[in-house]
Amino acid sequence: MNPTMKKTFIEPFMQNNPVAVQILGICSALAVTTNLRTALTMCLAVTFVTTFSNIGVSIIRKIIPGSIRMIVEMTIIATLVILVDQLIKAFSYNLSKELSVFVGLIITNCIVMGRAEAFAIKNNVLESSLDGLGNGIGYSIVLLTVAFFRELFGFGTLFGFTILKTVNNGGWYVPNGLLVLSPGAFFLIGFFIWLVKIRYKELME
Amino acid sequence: MKDSIFKTFAVAFGLCIVCSVIVSVAAVSLKPKQDENKQLDKQINILRAAGLVDAKESPNAAQVKDLFSQIESVVVNIETGDAVADVDTQNVDPKNVTKLPKDQDPAGIGSRPNEAVVYLVKENGVIQTIVLPVFGRGLWSTMYGFIALKGDFKTVANLTFYDQLETAGLGGEIANPKWTQKWIDKTAVDDSGKPVIKVIKGNVDPASPNANEQVDGISGATLTGNGVTKTVEYWLGENGFGPYLNKLRSGN
Amino acid sequence: MKILRNILGQLEKHLFAEGKPLSIFFPFFEAADTFFFTPDKKTTGKCHVRDCNDFKRMMISVVYALIPCVLMGMYNVGLQANRLMEINGIPESGDWHFWILSWINAHFPILGVFDVPDLRGFNPLNWNIIGCLIHGAVYFLPLYILTMVVGLGWEILFAMINRHDVNEGFFVTGLIFPLTLPPSIPLWQVAIAISFGVLIGKEFFGGTGRNFLNPALVARAFLFFAYAGQISGDKVWTVVDGVSKATPLSYATNPSLTEGGIDGLSNAGYTMFDSFIGLIPGSFGETSTLACLIGMVFLLFIGVASWRIMLSMTVGAMGMATVLMMLGSETNAAFNIGPIWHFILGGFAFGMVFMATDPVSAAITKQGQFLYGLLIGILIIIVRVLNPAYPEGTMLVILFGNCCAPLIDYFVVQANIKRRLKRVAVNNE
Repeated sequence: MNPTMKKTFIEPFMQNNPVAVQILGICSALAVTTNLRTALTMCLAVTFVTTFSNIGVSIIRKIIPGSIRMIVEMTIIATLVILVDQLIKAFSYNLSKELSVFVGLIITNCIVMGRAEAFAIKNNVLESSLDGLGNGIGYSIVLLTVAFFRELFGFGTLFGFTILKTVNNGGWYVPNGLLVLSPGAFFLIGFFIWLVKIRYKELME
Repeated sequence: MKDSIFKTFAVAFGLCIVCSVIVSVAAVSLKPKQDENKQLDKQINILRAAGLVDAKESPNAAQVKDLFSQIESVVVNIETGDAVADVDTQNVDPKNVTKLPKDQDPAGIGSRPNEAVVYLVKENGVIQTIVLPVFGRGLWSTMYGFIALKGDFKTVANLTFYDQLETAGLGGEIANPKWTQKWIDKTAVDDSGKPVIKVIKGNVDPASPNANEQVDGISGATLTGNGVTKTVEYWLGENGFGPYLNKLRSGN
Repeated sequence: MKILRNILGQLEKHLFAEGKPLSIFFPFFEAADTFFFTPDKKTTGKCHVRDCNDFKRMMISVVYALIPCVLMGMYNVGLQANRLMEINGIPESGDWHFWILSWINAHFPILGVFDVPDLRGFNPLNWNIIGCLIHGAVYFLPLYILTMVVGLGWEILFAMINRHDVNEGFFVTGLIFPLTLPPSIPLWQVAIAISFGVLIGKEFFGGTGRNFLNPALVARAFLFFAYAGQISGDKVWTVVDGVSKATPLSYATNPSLTEGGIDGLSNAGYTMFDSFIGLIPGSFGETSTLACLIGMVFLLFIGVASWRIMLSMTVGAMGMATVLMMLGSETNAAFNIGPIWHFILGGFAFGMVFMATDPVSAAITKQGQFLYGLLIGILIIIVRVLNPAYPEGTMLVILFGNCCAPLIDYFVVQANIKRRLKRVAVNNE
């Protein structure tokens, strides 16, 4: 892997993180992060879609007419999202119930469209796939971090396994209800942004 | 030449063909599996309500099928309280509803279905448990669940909620088996067929004469508790499954 | 005093001044220094003086204004507990609060910390004011001390990182916050909440003077959403274990036609007089409307708090309550509470006098203050009456008002500019 490609792949993890730096995809970051299982499923789904939509767009980038460029990108993304949605419904029904509309809403996730439009349309297939994968992982890092704290302190569990036994189930831990509500995710994402900006001073405004 | 009209159409057309093939193949090939999942999910909820499956267990498809074979599904006409023989349980029309006037709608549901599927667990031809679908307004959401009555059609065998969006940790605790098991063996309906069970504020005083008709409230969730009380009151009452239960009680 | 001055002066010169070994702790030193002496530093450069009321005086005067609330709150918590104990008997055991009280009772029975006041006769000793006061203080002081230690800890840490002085702002926040809490609140929750309030409500936005929200309310809102079970409901307002006693406000705003509204209040035995004086279950500071009004008079007299906000908030709330009462409702008993009850019950008076008027987070322009108060007053009544989940709207509505304050000010200033431009245009013609 040459340095530019490495940069394309690594940079979205932290200093160009789609959620924490570009502030994209916040909606799903609030909605599906109350527990790690749904967050992980969502992360895999988004990573799959960004990677393959980037590949798809990149393959046909030379024949896409400029006038219908965005519609073409959208069609590719929508196809992939429906595919993922159908697969989750078929193989993990309980998760699809918990994720409800949010898998379908990946179509409107700005990260996917943003990568296709900003990167895949003008770069080769290999680089585009790395960019898509990198951004998917960057999104996943934020979501999993947020979900880790929300599930652990909001419910006392991780992946559904009891870590801190809650009072309602006869233990000692009083769960923090704020983290279960959507604003809890806002605060955690805020902390994440703060940490990223402390680490990468050039991002400070 | 990249942007000629012909080419634009060609690309759009080609892309649409490819994408629609992918989508339809996925949808068609996965459909049976999805339907099976939906069915399975519903059956597990009913089995949990009937007390045949523990709340924490998630049995596999074969086990569910096996357990569900002992359950008999009956379509009931809510108004008359008669079992409807000519409608298949799969074909109950959810749009066939009656609007409820405000004074007959304690559960806040607006309209009720005219026909509903209830589930009977029989042993040697005698009904052991009857599982009734219920729903009603809580504080924030409509709560969907099942209430199961024992063979005397008065005593609670179980109560479960499978879909609700009450405050997590407070009202949301109605879905916690730790709370719902407090309902078991309480008297839901009195001898005249009137629903009596209530979620009260605070804890039940065991010395009280009504102790058997009361359930401990969840601290900080009075309004959700009221919603549960009213939901149960409506569905076991004369505008809900009351007529049907009366017929069962009198032996018809 | 001279000796102390010398010691502090030497310390500053050798240890805390710029470049000396402990210079990072200078804010800490400075705080201790100005606690004893008026600072000798003078403003340099251009400035103008409005009056002799500096930041420290202003904050301390708010603390003075809060004293009636503190005393009434402690007395009332003791009173509520002792009344319940008279009915149910003094429990055999309890938590550490109870252990301290038992110790006091065993060694100083004359204080009568478990006795119910006897209001017959006019002998103040018979009224057992001291006993109830001590009983309440055993619950209030730990909350207050913890709040101050944790809150000031964060303040000093941030002062050290950002190299600015520790200021007196926290003395007010640190006293208001425990006053908004129910007496049975667990201490660890208080520590987490005040940390949240100071960090998110204040320090992250640049410290005192730059916070757009009232930090004490942020801390309380945190508790309200994070640990609702310990700050709402009917079990938390008295310190006697296992006894539930709902606040009058939760009776009043209960929509149930049989249990709520005016009837609900009178059935539960709450009178307007008790509620006004503050002899009802509730948080420490909010129960006594009388104490809040004494504080209000003091604040208005020395001109620290804005009369515009208080007036418009009262007008807004009373107006809205009257409108709802006249509209009436067949399904919601809370409509009939009426303006006077609304004023007396819950945190309205406390919020109006001490929180809505917080000069940093409230609107600054004169017209803006009227609008700001009106908005808060009207919304409080709407939340109380129309939302069954939150009987107490004051906290959330003041936070909402805080968020709107900059916008209100912006429009007022813009309107001013437009008007003046017009005048200039007319004059130029």
